[in-house]
Amino acid sequence: MDNLAKQLREDAANIDAEISVELDSRILASLHNVTPESAKPRPRVVLSPSFWWASSLTGVAAALGVIAIINLDRPGSPPLQVQEPVAHFVVPELDLEVEAAMLTSPLAEELARLQADLRRAEAAVRDDVRIDF
Amino acid sequence: MSDELKLINSAKSGSVDAFTELVHGYREGLFRFLLTRCANHADAEDVLQDTFINAYRYIETYNPQWRFSTWLYRIAIRNAGRIREDNVAELGDVRDDSSDPLAHCIAEAERHNLWRNAKRLLSDEVFTAMWLRYVEDMSIRDIAAVLERSSSWTKVNLLRGRRALEAELNNGTQDPGSEAYG
Repeated sequence: MDNLAKQLREDAANIDAEISVELDSRILASLHNVTPESAKPRPRVVLSPSFWWASSLTGVAAALGVIAIINLDRPGSPPLQVQEPVAHFVVPELDLEVEAAMLTSPLAEELARLQADLRRAEAAVRDDVRIDF
Repeated sequence: MSDELKLINSAKSGSVDAFTELVHGYREGLFRFLLTRCANHADAEDVLQDTFINAYRYIETYNPQWRFSTWLYRIAIRNAGRIREDNVAELGDVRDDSSDPLAHCIAEAERHNLWRNAKRLLSDEVFTAMWLRYVEDMSIRDIAAVLERSSSWTKVNLLRGRRALEAELNNGTQDPGSEAYG
């Protein structure tokens, strides 16, 4: 650790940030009045029986329609051509414990942030120009 | 599963005790940081309280890909910015050094504290980046996430902040103000 880093750390430690008992109890009291969104009961959607029947019938009708279209449009099946395998490789099964690498998302995030930096810089320049003239 | 993750899961299901235990280690550091960011001691207390309330309420949105402290600081900075906007809207941009919480929280013998100089020399964002780097030991990636900036911006401005403070330390001839924008 270089001298500047060391001094910055020491000087930060010299800032008195003692949390008073009052603040501590105030925070605790306010936390007791809050329920996390994840712990809130989800409202149940109650659907009427007629809705259930209507959606089921629609689904059945759609499925029948798809089956009919496929069967009506199908021409005579072409003869199957069996291809001889060129080579037969036996790939040994590898027991790898790997996690999928997220290769693009950090780059995409970085690009979005760079674009945001550029927008902020443009806005700052525009503000400066407005102030000057 | 780490202890922290267990506490987070308990907090998600509504355990205040788990959440209190979770944030206990971050309280003092976060409050110290807020004292540097807020206009006065009372504002820093309010922002600390709001930060914990928001973190608890929306803990389901926490992504374990990031450190918990990164997420907490992000909330704190947003809350501090909001309270500052409210103050400016109500009172105008009045800067009164006598109410600076840093002036009260640093003992008389420690008045040469570098962070007071940093507050004077650096923009808020660069100051925050320096604090997160040198006090909280955050990585460039985490600092960029907290500030919602790119890693390149973070690196460049950390370097500028360092140069400005080094110039101040060495009483150099170079004008630190010219390096300190961000």
